[in-house]
Amino acid sequence: MAKTQLQNLRLGIFVVLGTALLLFASYLIGNRQNMFGKTFEVSAVFKNATGLQNGNNVRFSGINVGTINAIEMINDTTIRVHMIIEDEMLNHIKKNATASIGSNGLVGSMLINIVPQKGRSELIKPGDELQSSSKVGTQDMLRTLNVTNQNAALLTANLIEVSESLTKGKGTLGKLLNDTTMANDLKQTITNLKYTSNQANTTFSELNKIIESIDLKESAVGVLLTDTVSARKTQNIIANLETSSIKLEKMSQDLKEITGGAKEGKGAINYLSQDTTLVKQLEQTMKNIEQGTERFNENMEALKHNFLTRGYFKKQAKEQKKEN
Amino acid sequence: MTNDANTYQETVKSLDKKEEKKAVIRIRDVRKSFGDNHVLNGFNLELLEGENLVVMGKSGSGKSVMIKCLVGLMLPDSGYIEVMGKEIASLDHETLDELRSDIGFLFQGSALYDSMTVRENLEFPLRRHKEKLGKISDTTPLVLEALENVGLADAIDLMPAELSGGMKRRVALARTLILKPKIILYDEPTSGLDPITAKEIIELMRTIQKKYGTSSLIITHDVDCARVISERMVLLVDGINYAEGTYSELSASTDPKVEAFFKK
Amino acid sequence: MVEQIKQFFIQIGDLSRFASRFFKEFYKPPFEFKELLHQCYQMGNRSLVLVGLTGFIIGLVLTLQSRPTMIQFGAVSWMPNMVGISIVREIGPVITALICAGRIASGIGAELGSMRVTEQIDAMEVSGTNPFKYLVITRILATTLMLPLLVVFGDLIALYGSALVENIKGQVSFQLYFNTVFNALSFGDLVPATVKSFFFGFVIGLVGCYKGYYSKKGTAGVGVAANTAVVMASLLLFVVDFIAVFVSDIFYEL
Repeated sequence: MAKTQLQNLRLGIFVVLGTALLLFASYLIGNRQNMFGKTFEVSAVFKNATGLQNGNNVRFSGINVGTINAIEMINDTTIRVHMIIEDEMLNHIKKNATASIGSNGLVGSMLINIVPQKGRSELIKPGDELQSSSKVGTQDMLRTLNVTNQNAALLTANLIEVSESLTKGKGTLGKLLNDTTMANDLKQTITNLKYTSNQANTTFSELNKIIESIDLKESAVGVLLTDTVSARKTQNIIANLETSSIKLEKMSQDLKEITGGAKEGKGAINYLSQDTTLVKQLEQTMKNIEQGTERFNENMEALKHNFLTRGYFKKQAKEQKKEN
Repeated sequence: MTNDANTYQETVKSLDKKEEKKAVIRIRDVRKSFGDNHVLNGFNLELLEGENLVVMGKSGSGKSVMIKCLVGLMLPDSGYIEVMGKEIASLDHETLDELRSDIGFLFQGSALYDSMTVRENLEFPLRRHKEKLGKISDTTPLVLEALENVGLADAIDLMPAELSGGMKRRVALARTLILKPKIILYDEPTSGLDPITAKEIIELMRTIQKKYGTSSLIITHDVDCARVISERMVLLVDGINYAEGTYSELSASTDPKVEAFFKK
Repeated sequence: MVEQIKQFFIQIGDLSRFASRFFKEFYKPPFEFKELLHQCYQMGNRSLVLVGLTGFIIGLVLTLQSRPTMIQFGAVSWMPNMVGISIVREIGPVITALICAGRIASGIGAELGSMRVTEQIDAMEVSGTNPFKYLVITRILATTLMLPLLVVFGDLIALYGSALVENIKGQVSFQLYFNTVFNALSFGDLVPATVKSFFFGFVIGLVGCYKGYYSKKGTAGVGVAANTAVVMASLLLFVVDFIAVFVSDIFYEL
């Protein structure tokens, strides 16, 4: 009989312990789902529930304070989410706090974040409606990333096209780069210009000297008339002057031709400056690049704060530090 | 067929002769078959009050089936079985249980409950049938009395595994006796025992029968056992009660099928 | 082949009949309460060490094996969630049930089988105790009641084993580990698993008793009874598990 007593005792301990464990486990789980303990209800209205489910967590400043107990569709753009929150939070959540839908990690379940705002406000009351704000959630982030990726792909395709046509000399810019005769012409013209202006310079200085010498002797006209040597000289100078001016005229004509060509859109430079579509395209491309990098940066920043990838970035930062 | 009819006639006659004694068990034309194997083919038997009746037959001749039909462990395909004036087939579970408390059954292999001590084994039948013996708070005297009857009072707290074959059989006998049955059915009481132990068991059976005045139905294929204990014998051959009589009558028979039993 | 299929359906039919007999006789007095307690002790307490050891190793191994993959995904901090949910939902109940099918179903099969062979069951019937009530109902009830408790212990020890690995390899404190596990768990994990364990227990007891109770004559019959009891119980466990997943799917959106 003593044996069965002992058996029953052990059995009793086993059963009580097992049941207690089971109850304890359900208590722990239930505690999280706020089935026990005092709670109150508030709601928030969103445009998009982004996969929120009953039982998802509600966080206030990052602490789990409750769960979602109902999601109600009011109309196609209004969704009311009812939350059950621990009674203690009545002393902390203010009326101006905003609720936003977020997610617990990149692939984690959805949750509602209640974020306190600056400024004074009354404390929340049961049944109140919280302001809602849509923050970049993981899904949005991924969507933007996707768009950015698509843009980047388009961009690189364009770039490839541009560089290809550049090397092939198809575009105006390419022509400019490739047309060596034109470049030589340009160079020649500039040298000519330089030479002409030099000559003009000397001519003028000589002319100056003559005029000075005319001043020094009684009268230039007299000298001119009487002094045959000087008259010959003057004649020569004038002839020189004439050639110079002719040359100058030619120069300026040349220049005029160049600028005219440029104006008429014949020259290479002007092609570049006058082709508005290309300019617009280039501008767009640059803008796209800019936008893309900006968004990418934004995403990277968001990713950095994401706990799944946080480790990776921390590691990177550490390595950078080491290198420095 | 004629032979069968004759035997039946003889049975009826012999029953008429012993009309003064009440029959506690009546079996009439019982048939039982397992598939194509016809074990009982119209078997007839009467056990009279206070009588030691031995049923002999070869192994597999349906002796065990017949005895199990008597306590309702099996139901015959057809025929009539009456125990202490009640037809077994017509009884509901409760009445059958009540009736069973008046029938002791000693199983072939003792059938002691392995997981229980000797005491618990003996107490087991008392669980349901306490009413029969009046309200009892302490079962120990009853257990001890039953064990003393078989001379094993010391073994009360042993487990069946610690007992020898003979002891087991005796404990089983004690368990059969604890409800003070009016009829005891012995299924091969000496099988698996050495001759000396077998003799002891047979002696025990006789003492008990004298002491309590029970009627006994013994089925066996052991001729020695039959000789010592039987007052009357029935030979079970081919599913029928082939021959009946005292040991000396049957051992003197010239019928080859009867002679086969007594050949050494 | 046809004969085998026929036999299969006969077995299913017999088993169903046996189960319906259980439910019919279950409500009728007398109740064998003392024997039930004894069987609960035999099946509950006696299996505890085995279940505990298996659970511990399973928890340990599961964590060790999945850690490298989780590290690759950078999701080591999710180990408790993953291991916790898989143990509570599926591995705990199934492994415990399989262990018990091995230990208890074969035990019952062999015990009842040998009782049948040595006519102990007949002896019980003759001495006025309904052997079905005394042997079968108590055993089926005992397994049905004890298995969920064993599963709870198995789960706990498996989680402890897993926490040990996390603690040593990943510097995760036990408190953090169990906090994370219980944060990850919901009633949708615990309730179906517990309900499922009752059915597992029922299946183990039912098959063990069925095979033992209708054991063939002879000592070979006992062996066959014990053996087929384990095989059939294990198979049925998976079938029940399969059904349980579908049914719990209705009540808890997974």
